[in-house]
Amino acid sequence: MLNELLENQILNLKKPHFHILYWTAMAEEKGVLYNITNIFDDLKFIKATRTKQSAVAYVEALASLCFITINSESNRKNIYITKYGARALEYLLSKQIYKTEKSLFLEVSK
Amino acid sequence: MNIGIGGAGSKLASMASDRECTIINVSELELSKVEAKSKLLAVTHSAKGQLRGSGKNPMIGREAFSSVGQKIMDIIKDNVVFSSTGGGTGNGMTSILLEKLSNQEDSIPLDERTVFVFVLPYLNREATEYVENTIEFLGGPVSASIDSGNTGNIILFSNKLKFEGRIPESEYNKMIVDSLNSFLGIPVKGEMYRLLDGHIDFEDFDLFKSKPYFNHFTQFQWNPDEPFENQLRHNFNSLLLPPERAIEAMFLLELPDPSLTSKFYDILDYFAADNIPPVYGVVHNPEITQPQITVSLLYSRKPREIVDDFKRISDKYTRNRIKKSLEQHVVLQNRKLDKINEARRLVEESGNNTGDVLGFLKRIGKL
Repeated sequence: MLNELLENQILNLKKPHFHILYWTAMAEEKGVLYNITNIFDDLKFIKATRTKQSAVAYVEALASLCFITINSESNRKNIYITKYGARALEYLLSKQIYKTEKSLFLEVSK
Repeated sequence: MNIGIGGAGSKLASMASDRECTIINVSELELSKVEAKSKLLAVTHSAKGQLRGSGKNPMIGREAFSSVGQKIMDIIKDNVVFSSTGGGTGNGMTSILLEKLSNQEDSIPLDERTVFVFVLPYLNREATEYVENTIEFLGGPVSASIDSGNTGNIILFSNKLKFEGRIPESEYNKMIVDSLNSFLGIPVKGEMYRLLDGHIDFEDFDLFKSKPYFNHFTQFQWNPDEPFENQLRHNFNSLLLPPERAIEAMFLLELPDPSLTSKFYDILDYFAADNIPPVYGVVHNPEITQPQITVSLLYSRKPREIVDDFKRISDKYTRNRIKKSLEQHVVLQNRKLDKINEARRLVEESGNNTGDVLGFLKRIGKL
């Protein structure tokens, strides 16, 4: 029952949700802090949204689903992927539902 | 006691007073290079300034003034301040000093006024920054202080002769100091030698040097048989900027032979023709063989006009420099390092490293 719920939740994620999870994991791998402003810039760059409100809404939805946590650090809201988020990302990647795109912010901060 | 501000001003003050002076600088190293009875280190927050002085940046001097400002205001009364106009410390600190004197509500008493000795750069040979700093200095603080009437004489030495005559700095500084001493020695000689006519005592001299005008002084051997006007014109002090029409004058005539005394009326006639009754003294100096005269002319050429001269000549050299650089113009390829665009290019290249991400998530225990 709970697995079914989780699967439905994951399948209802949209392309911006997927990328937020993906980039957050990438940022963590690179050891770079990734915040809501960076997410907004990256979503804008891949033309997924044009407003910060939508970017915030995508982030908040993922946080409500316990896929990410938002930590306020030094006046920045940094995003970290949770265990559930990692499983959701793995599922979406395995199903190849969305094509991955690179984050502009993470490329610049190479 | 003389006061020297900045590198050039300190050297001159030390030389002019046989080290019995106060020198001020922002750099301890610069202070250590000059011998002086008293040294004031002004505090600057610039590390470069602390080590090597203000360079050519007057802002460093201006900022540092507050740390020693009150002390300077106390010691300059009835003294001589030496500074260059082109550098950083001298220009910056003296600018504030002049501004403070200009802004005093009450007129400064005559016996407390300060004589300023400035050394101006030579436009043709010295760095543009020196010239630009001088233009700012003359047009701003000096102009305002002349208008306020709160300074004593302002003496404008120029580095022109130094460069044209290829004279080493120490030798040139000695020439400046000797020349200045010839003027400052007038009342001493007035007291020392037997008076033949007129009289210049210390009181007369102090009153003369407390007037807020530019001072041009010169000393030369006087020929009683030649018109004084020609002799004066040919013997202007080449270390100083040339004078304008004098407002007030002073001269001390030293005669080896008292029988020549009556000849000095020719000199009085010259000044009378210009409506300038001079302060004068004629003394018998048995140590010389030829009559010698020391003349000081006070003139009030507005600093603005001096600035215009500086600007005119400065512009000419700037044009020449630009012309020269255009002639040597080399077209360099425009190379841009644009990280954002480079990142965009990389992002546009498709690539999938999803395996790495999942591997990482497994390693950190999130999968």
